[in-house]
Amino acid sequence: MSTPQSSTETETALPDADPVDADAVVEPVDVLEDDTTDAEDTDGDEDDEEDDEEDDLLVQEGDVAGDYLERLLDILDVDGDIDLDVEGDRASVAVVGDELTTLIGPGGATLEALQELTRLAVAQSTGTRSRLMLDIGGFRAKRRADLTELAGQAASRVAASGTAERLSPMNPFERKVVHDVIAAADGVRSESEGEEPNRRVVVLPAS
Amino acid sequence: MLEEALEHLVKGIVDNPDDVAVDLINGRRGKTLEVRVHPDDLGKVIGRGGRTAKALRQVMTGVGGRGLRVDVVDTDGR
Repeated sequence: MSTPQSSTETETALPDADPVDADAVVEPVDVLEDDTTDAEDTDGDEDDEEDDEEDDLLVQEGDVAGDYLERLLDILDVDGDIDLDVEGDRASVAVVGDELTTLIGPGGATLEALQELTRLAVAQSTGTRSRLMLDIGGFRAKRRADLTELAGQAASRVAASGTAERLSPMNPFERKVVHDVIAAADGVRSESEGEEPNRRVVVLPAS
Repeated sequence: MLEEALEHLVKGIVDNPDDVAVDLINGRRGKTLEVRVHPDDLGKVIGRGGRTAKALRQVMTGVGGRGLRVDVVDTDGR
């Protein structure tokens, strides 16, 4: 429990793995609260050398998630299609449609809740903790694009001025997008500070 | 529709889906969805720090309106 970062995370070394680790390492205690998107890997120890099985598992995750959400749409009489994909080391599930605002909620709150429940449903079915990402009505995709731009601008300002900048509070998904952008930019680095729901990214000049 | 939606959401995350029951109560102070699950599944429906119950509430109020309440009924006979 005290070391939620398993070796799997670093060994599979995706380009975006660093900021998540950094986020967790700065304040390890926070990992437990932070696991809506990062660090849900407490039980990952057993699957180190099983890449193929891992891919199969991700496909299976998507299938379970798709069924769970499709049935919900049916019951609610909401039109939407489910797109399944695997992005890096996560299953990616997108609900696509024109009238999905009630399932997104203010600031994406309902989307986050549905992602949480979908992960639980997947874990219930597969017996393994899931880190799948859910998008609804393109909400995350748009948020990702907006944050990428915002983070890029902050990186330029901090690199030029040498002065750190504190960004607005963000959820784990949003912080990860920003950390990834900062990690790829020259002359800057990033940290997270504060407690949920006011945890935020700080962009600093690289030392 | 609301009962069925909540029932589906809960059934997917518990060990004993056949023991999930949801009732819609029309009270003076608005609508309440009462959820009953197998006693062994109470922890799953509530979640760490109430996190799962909160997610269920968020989804159901998003769908059914702000006034909708969701109560997880503790049937673990006291």
